[in-house]
Amino acid sequence: MCRFVCGNDGSINVRPPAVCPTIVMGQGRNPGLCHTPFVAQHELRINCRLHEIGTGDLAGAAETHGTCGALAQVELKQISKSFGATDVLHEISLSVPDREFTVLVGPSGCGKSTLLRIVAGLESASAGEILFDGRAVNELSPGQRNVAMVFQNYALYPHLSVASNIGFGLRRSKLSRTQKRAAILDVARLLEIEPLLSRRPSALSGGQRQRVAMGRAIIRDPDVFLFDEPLSNLDARLRMQMRAEIRALHRKLPTTTLYVTHDQIEAMTMADRVVVMNAGRIEQIGTPSEIYNSPRTKFVAGFIGMPSMNMIDARLEDGALAVGASRLALSSNWHAALAGHKDRNLVLGLRPEHLRLRTDSTGLPAVVDLVEPTGSETLIYLHHDALHLCARAAPETDLRTGAQVYLDLHLDRAVLFDAQSGLALPRPEPTFATSGELA
Amino acid sequence: MTRPARRARPATRLTSGALPWLLPALLMLGMFYLYPIAEALRLAFTDARLFDQSTSFSLASIAGVAGSATLGTILRNTLVYTVASVLGQLALGLFIALLVVRAERARLRGTLVLRTIVLAAWVIPAIANGIIWQLLLSEAPFGAINSALRLIGVSPVAWLSDPANAMTSAVIATIWQGTAYSMILLYAALKSIDPVLYEAAAIDDATAMERFWFITLPHMRPALLVNAILIKIMTLNMFDTILSLTGGGPGRATEVLSLFAYNTVFQSFELGRGAALAMLLLLISLLLTAALILLLPRGRR
Repeated sequence: MCRFVCGNDGSINVRPPAVCPTIVMGQGRNPGLCHTPFVAQHELRINCRLHEIGTGDLAGAAETHGTCGALAQVELKQISKSFGATDVLHEISLSVPDREFTVLVGPSGCGKSTLLRIVAGLESASAGEILFDGRAVNELSPGQRNVAMVFQNYALYPHLSVASNIGFGLRRSKLSRTQKRAAILDVARLLEIEPLLSRRPSALSGGQRQRVAMGRAIIRDPDVFLFDEPLSNLDARLRMQMRAEIRALHRKLPTTTLYVTHDQIEAMTMADRVVVMNAGRIEQIGTPSEIYNSPRTKFVAGFIGMPSMNMIDARLEDGALAVGASRLALSSNWHAALAGHKDRNLVLGLRPEHLRLRTDSTGLPAVVDLVEPTGSETLIYLHHDALHLCARAAPETDLRTGAQVYLDLHLDRAVLFDAQSGLALPRPEPTFATSGELA
Repeated sequence: MTRPARRARPATRLTSGALPWLLPALLMLGMFYLYPIAEALRLAFTDARLFDQSTSFSLASIAGVAGSATLGTILRNTLVYTVASVLGQLALGLFIALLVVRAERARLRGTLVLRTIVLAAWVIPAIANGIIWQLLLSEAPFGAINSALRLIGVSPVAWLSDPANAMTSAVIATIWQGTAYSMILLYAALKSIDPVLYEAAAIDDATAMERFWFITLPHMRPALLVNAILIKIMTLNMFDTILSLTGGGPGRATEVLSLFAYNTVFQSFELGRGAALAMLLLLISLLLTAALILLLPRGRR
């Protein structure tokens, strides 16, 4: 239990200082860092702009986080951007709730980095509004927006030591020299780069530079964290490790985060919410599982998932799907959902894991083209007439190129797209228990 | 089977040693650089006169130079002229380079024209540069700068005839011409700074001064030092601008070491003394260069 005492200047004092080791403090309104070293010596002051809270007891640090300050919510309203005659962003609207980890993902050139730079203030929007907590920040310089950004090549100041790099954001703060040093040490400890503090960035490995770049961002206790493809310069193993670390960091210091990547694995593993972008437009916003299981467009379905979703041209005829010369029966719960789409050209989207190989001769016949064992699973590429498919199979699957197999399509898990618009058709309520196999 | 035969070909054998590849350069450098220096060194130890064939080895020339009463004045002039010119060229060159880079970043038009105009000064021969500035600074009624001053009600300045102003005039003329070189060098160094660093600084709310201090200047240090070394050498060797601007006068007010050596040889015909002065100039130049190189960051030396 700690006590907050409001200062006249909008700052907050916490009493008694020693009992709140996890209370976070910093210059911004967000929970920043727990500066435990000087909790014992100094009275904690949190410049939280907590005017609305007043004096009172706070039950535990978690609640403190929850109530400390107003929301740092980012809202984009119809942001457009053009470079000369080229339109890069088309009326993007997006709301990032407080403390949420949102990942912008899309192929290169889709405008995701530009969008991030517009939020940072490094680029100005041609039209539209950027709101932080409902306050338009379009006219504010990047420094005034109180955002922190981690760049793809880290952009560490090459002539400053690691400590000075991390402490750069504190150079104008009113903290004493010892307090600054303690703050830098705290951040270094958090990121486990304490032994590197006196080094120059050029003497660091990629992963270490990455941490320093994050330290420089963290220490400023920003309202919004921006990451611009921060892991793309790391090797695969390190990337996997840093993925988990950035997530863990976000759990420790929950700050509104916008993270740009072209790597769908990063998007799927790190995001609270994923924003899939393509050609300057948002294709879909949703949790990773929504994006994966219920893609809203053909683009999202094809972009997310490795290997890609199988896309099969089909037509709806008499309650069945005509695929080439074959007809696939749809279970009855699809019928109602597809009532308005008779005789339309459709695309049947099926994830590789929803194709099952059978050796008895029922189902769609296909010929194996290529077998790719990856260790944990085996990918099987096959074709049925001119139709090329990929199926995920158990690792011990023993098949040769040219083998004749039969495919069981889990149509209940399929997504149907309108061939023209590329939009997904409404799906029936999931009824996994009544798959064709069991019936 | 073809391999041994191929190895015997002379073209392949050449790669075995470094000497054949170094030979052309060694010959050129030896003939056109090392030999003249050795010859000048030899002359310094003679009493040679320009139009006198009979010379004998002696220390008279060196002793004459060392004991000369004017040498102190000359060295002081050289110091003032070189330091002021080098600093002026570095500062002005950096300023214009920053201006050009800034203008390019803002996508302003005319940066190429600006760069070309600045460079135009550099392609003018130093003699011509001296004459141009003599016309500009002339105290006669047609003197451009004094005429301009008169228009705004300032009384004319004795740019070239007043010993107190003559050195300033010589430095201005030198800076004006040399700035282009310094600008191009520094411009290239500025362009090599990762622009993302400035973005990171913008996010860190750094002021223009902080960006310059923490990013631009440290990055420019090697370029500035190398630039300083090169400009220093060129300035120490510069005598033609001063020759045509003031001729070293009034009195000896603008007579620098290189001009003094020139005058000793071509006015007083004392070839031995001139060679001794040239050796002194070489020595000063080498020592200054060594001192500046020590300031370069490790690994760039």
